[in-house]
This record gives sequence, structure tokens and C-alpha cells, in this order.
Amino acid sequence: MLALLFILFAGLGIGCALAVVAQRNPLYSAISLIGVFISLACLYVMLAAPFIAAVQVIVYAGAIMVLVVFVIMLLNVEHEERGRTRLKFLVPTAIALAAILIAEVAFILVSVQEFRVTPTNEASDIGVTHSIGTQLFTRYLLPFEITSILLLMAIVGAMTLARRGGLLPATARVIPGAQQFPISMVDPRAEPDDLTPVETDTTDEAARLLGVDHRNRNESA
Amino acid sequence: METAIDIALKFAAITVAFVVVLLIVAYTVLAERRVLGLIQGRLGPNRVGYGGILQPFADLLKFILKEDIVPDKSTRFIYFLAPVIATMAALMTMIVYPFGPEIRIPFTNITIPLVIAHFDVGLLYVLGITSIGVYGIMLAGWSSNNKYSLMGGLRSSAQMISYELALGLSLIGVILLAGTLDLAQIVEHQSGWYGLRWNILFNPLGFVVYLIAAIAETNRVPFDLPEAETELVAGFHTEYSAMKFALFFLAEYINMFTVSMLATTLFLGGWNVPFAEAIFGRGTFLFGLVSAIGFLAKVIFFLFLYIWLRGTLPRFRFDQLMDFGWKILLPLALLSIFVTATLVYLVPSL
Repeated sequence: MLALLFILFAGLGIGCALAVVAQRNPLYSAISLIGVFISLACLYVMLAAPFIAAVQVIVYAGAIMVLVVFVIMLLNVEHEERGRTRLKFLVPTAIALAAILIAEVAFILVSVQEFRVTPTNEASDIGVTHSIGTQLFTRYLLPFEITSILLLMAIVGAMTLARRGGLLPATARVIPGAQQFPISMVDPRAEPDDLTPVETDTTDEAARLLGVDHRNRNESA
Repeated sequence: METAIDIALKFAAITVAFVVVLLIVAYTVLAERRVLGLIQGRLGPNRVGYGGILQPFADLLKFILKEDIVPDKSTRFIYFLAPVIATMAALMTMIVYPFGPEIRIPFTNITIPLVIAHFDVGLLYVLGITSIGVYGIMLAGWSSNNKYSLMGGLRSSAQMISYELALGLSLIGVILLAGTLDLAQIVEHQSGWYGLRWNILFNPLGFVVYLIAAIAETNRVPFDLPEAETELVAGFHTEYSAMKFALFFLAEYINMFTVSMLATTLFLGGWNVPFAEAIFGRGTFLFGLVSAIGFLAKVIFFLFLYIWLRGTLPRFRFDQLMDFGWKILLPLALLSIFVTATLVYLVPSL
């Protein structure tokens, strides 16, 4: 029974993993990756580690992949462009790394067969929430705290990157996708009926292009 | 052999649970239409059967018999997959809720717990499956190849990601009080004080935050922006018709039901009915029956609350929704954790 379930979930995991690489549409790849995470979670449950399984689903499938799918949907990336491949050195690197991985797996398979241990019959509570919590806050407290500091740094870094270029003034109202003017409206040298859109990202830029001093107007108002 | 019987029994229990849930959900829809009618000074559906009692089945038949329209430029596979994910994720959490205590079947010595699946991380399981449910809506919005659908899907996912944080944080107070993630033990923990030792007494702020975040998670009024009909036609399910639409509809109501069950389990003492244990004695069949009915009554109260809100409140604007989620609800959830943690630290006997 367990073996059957293992084959089912492992097969599902491998199939989805192959699909991640093989799919041309990035959204399909993302969905396959969710499949990989879920089948991994099922395998964790079979290994009597329900906490890890639940966290796997919540963090990877439920949070990170939602963000990935969200971005793909926002950008509406269609099929991957099959152009010249830059970074050609990656191909031999990938082959070498794959060879090392296969060698490792083979080594483990061989050493497992040589190394015989009899499993104990004692019930173990290693995968249970309580024991994980106890270990995490006693024995592994330092790594735990360091990880949280790392995460904090990542958050601060993301904020800094996102806000680079200064904050918009409090009066600014930026509506994404709305600041488009035909070039004839902005540039006096352009043909009068040239409707090529000019794109700006901020209200300031739009105001400058249009020759409107929107700050003064706001202050006087 | 015994494992085979066990598995067969579990399957039977899950099937029964699904049927019961679907029945309750069908009548929630009817109740919503009747109660809304009451609130708005009209009758609501009352023609099919006595007082409209067969209306859900008439609706179901209609959904099955309608033509199933698939948009020409849609992404076929995902378009079919999305309602399946939504319904499946909604149904899957159903099995972990303890709807009654352990009972002894009359005239035998067999005791059975009134819960289908009992495991260590029940609460995390619920959160995980709920977070999978977002994909149904997102993918539906994307695959329909319709601007309104896409906007609805994006809004919905942004909203659910934002409110999931507050929702998760509001539950931590309960976990601190009970010291476990196991739903059955959390309920068990609330059974003191003649069945009135409910977590809502110790963590009222967490309850309020949970209730608001849960309404947002289920995309219900006043947080129903993903399907705001004045702006987005019908949001993410604009292009869906017939049975596929019915699946989304179903998923929404099942989600309401699960969220209500979680609120009952975590904050309102689950199956604990005041004084039931003193009157009937623990483990008896009657005690189990009263407890299960008590559980259902609390869940139905929450369902009524949902309908009541829908009949009363207007809809948020999207920026208000985001501001409210991040700037008010999230700090409040953190505050509730802080207060509860202090309480647990000062009064360890809780």
C-alpha cells in the first residue's frame, strides 16, 4: 500500500518536474512546479513528517508560487522566445552537474545496500510539531535567529530596491498605464498628427513633458 | 485486511461528509436568497416545493442542462482546470474538523471520535489547502482571455494574499492558548468551565480580526471586489457558464462553510455546549448528539452572519480594501498575538 502511494507521488513529482523544464509557456511551467511541491508534501506525509508537509504547501505552493503566477499573469508573458541562446557555457556546466548528481545517487544506492541497519520499533516523534518547536527554540536557536535576520535583510533590501529613485511627492497621483500621450502633444517638432504614444512612469515626468507645473497648482489650491 | 476495512470506512465517511456539506451549502444558497428577500422587503424564491424547499435542486438541474460555453481564445486546459481546483480545495478541508466528541455507540463498547481525519497539524493543513484555493480563481481569470476576468483574478489574488497574513496571524493567539495545532485538542482545551471556556473570551481581538479576514478570504460582501458587478461584469467567472460556473458558486459557499467551521472550532468552543457534559455525562450517545447539533448551530450562526452582512453593507473600494488589510488588520493581529502571549505568560494555567 505504502509502496503504491510512494510510486504514485514520486511519479507525479518527477512528471511535474520534467514538465517544468519542458513546457514552453511559463504559466504551465509554474503550474507544474506547484504539482512538484504538492507531491513532495505528500511524500513528507508518508515519511511521518506532517509539519514539514504542511509548511511545504503553505510556503511554497501557497505563497511563493502564487506570487510567481501573479507576476506571470501581470506581465502576460506568452510563449518563450526561441532566439539565440546567450550564456552558452551553461550547457556543459549543466551536463557536468547532472553527471555529478547521477554519480551521487548511484553512490547512495550502492552504500545503502551495503550498509545494513535494522529499524527500531520505537515510536518516534521527530516529525511532530511539538518536537520540531522544542528543537528549534533550544538546540537550533542560533541558526533560527540568523535565518530570521537574513529574511529581514531581504525584506529591507526589496523595499530599498523598489523605492530607488526617490519617493513620489505626497500629492502625486500615478495611475499605471494611464500616462500616455501622443508624441504630437508633447514634442513641438513632431508631426501634428503623429499619434505614437509617449510613456512616462511618474506624474512629475508627465507634467514636465506636458509643460505643466503641477506642483505649484497643487500648492496654490 | 483490517487496513482495507479502515480505508473503506474512511472513504464512506468522507463521502457522507461531502454529501452533508453539499446539502447544507445548497440550503445556505436558498437561505441567502430568502433572507435577502426579507431584508429587502420582498419574498425571494418560494415556488418550488413548500416555501421554496426544492429550489436548490431546481437550480442544480438548470445548471446541468444549460449550454456550456467555452470562449474561443481561452486556454482550454487551464480553463477546465480552474473550477476543479477551486471546488476541490474548498472540499478538502472538510475532513479535519471535529464536529463532536468521542461517543460510544449504544449497546456496544465501540467508541468512535466524531472526526474523519485526525492529525497533528490539522490547523496548518486547513491553511495550506485554503491557500491552494487561490489558484482556482487566479487561473480562471487568466485563462478566460477576458479583460474583466483577468482584472477580477488579479484583484482576487492580491486580496487573498494580503488577508491571508492577517488571518494566519489572528490564529496564533489560539495556538498559544491551546499549545497545539491539533484541532481536536484545541476544542478539547475549551471544554472546561462547564463547556464555556471558549477562546473568544481570552482572545476577542483575534476573533474579530479572524472574522474580518475570513470574509475577505471568501470574497464576500463587503470585500467582494473580485466580482464587483458594477465594474467587472462578474469578475473572474465572467466567461464561465453552466456547470463550471456552478462549481465556482459552490466553492464560494463551501468556503463560507469551512471558514465558519474554523471560527467555531477555534473561537467558539467547537462542539462544546454549555452544561451538556454535566447533564448527559461524557461519552454517551446523547452527549455526542447534543454536541454535534451545538456545533452545527454555531456554524449556521456564522453563515447567517455572512448573509446578514451581504444584505446590510456596501462594497469597499479597492485601495480602501488594501489599506484596511495592511494598515489596520495586520497591526491589530500582531497586537492580539502580543496581548495573548502576555496573558499566557502571566497566567500559565490558561
